[in-house]
Amino acid sequence: MAKYYDIDDIITDEEIVAVIFQKSASGVGIDPSSETDCVEVGSKVELPFWLAHELQQRQAVSLNIPTSFNQNTRLEIQADSACVDLRSRCPFFYEFGCKIAPLVGARNIGPLLLSAFKSRYKEVLTKAHTAAFTAASKNLTILTKEETNLYEAAQSSMAAFKKWRMGGPRFQKASILGRKRKSTE
Amino acid sequence: MQEEGLDVQTTRSADHYGALIHHLSLVRNKRCLMAYVYNRAETIRSLIWKVGPVLPQEIQEKLSHTEEDYFKKHAGTLQSYMSRLDLDVTVDMVPPKDPYIQVRVLDDIGVVLSDDKTTNFARHSMHFLKRTDAEQFISRGLMEELTG
Repeated sequence: MAKYYDIDDIITDEEIVAVIFQKSASGVGIDPSSETDCVEVGSKVELPFWLAHELQQRQAVSLNIPTSFNQNTRLEIQADSACVDLRSRCPFFYEFGCKIAPLVGARNIGPLLLSAFKSRYKEVLTKAHTAAFTAASKNLTILTKEETNLYEAAQSSMAAFKKWRMGGPRFQKASILGRKRKSTE
Repeated sequence: MQEEGLDVQTTRSADHYGALIHHLSLVRNKRCLMAYVYNRAETIRSLIWKVGPVLPQEIQEKLSHTEEDYFKKHAGTLQSYMSRLDLDVTVDMVPPKDPYIQVRVLDDIGVVLSDDKTTNFARHSMHFLKRTDAEQFISRGLMEELTG
């Protein structure tokens, strides 16, 4: 329940999952390919994750592996995970994988996430610590949300460290200026 | 009895799941709205520490009436807490090196009464102020700190 109010968690739940309906449901206009508002047994529908999760707990649907975790992505990650464009597939790759793994029953999602994260993390840290401000923009567009957070945290800590090394007064000036900027926004 | 039980189950699956899907959608909408209001309230709480108990106009026009009320009550609670401690906890968020600070005035503030002297804060004038006095003006963007 600690994640009830968390906005990132809510957006993660919005990811699309393909499901197959085991029971029929009437009066809902979810399935765009059927003419009536009935969903037939065995029809394949794309649902957001929050709906699919609840329905699966009540045994109304069965979940398939979403497209972000299929064989293509797996092969690309095994080849060279630092260059895989994860944001276009699924901006919350790791969070979503953690949620999907117990439901779909595929045992290889966990190790896949781990290996991808390990190699990308090294890239993220080295780029954040050594690159100038606008240099690594190509790398930034392919990071997921969690990796972007890590990247920004590393950059801000690097900037703070440099300011600390230059001298004390700069540190105070920056924080007061930060407040001043926020109040004029 | 058995057949009635079976009947209940089969009738359950027809409209039951449709109603269930509607109900889940409602619960989801509720969660999104609650999270929005909660995060807004958190931002408002942090405003008091950043900007001070008086809001600048451009922020104030974006708050709803309930939010303004929330802000005033929170600021009032903080004030009563500070008066009981006899200490102003909203100044000096950064540990200061020097009790006095040099500032340059950016906007026209006019004549201000501080402690026992009245100073005329004209635009682009430089002053040597006590840190606690200057801090409220700096956080509102009316002055800037001069270093070196």
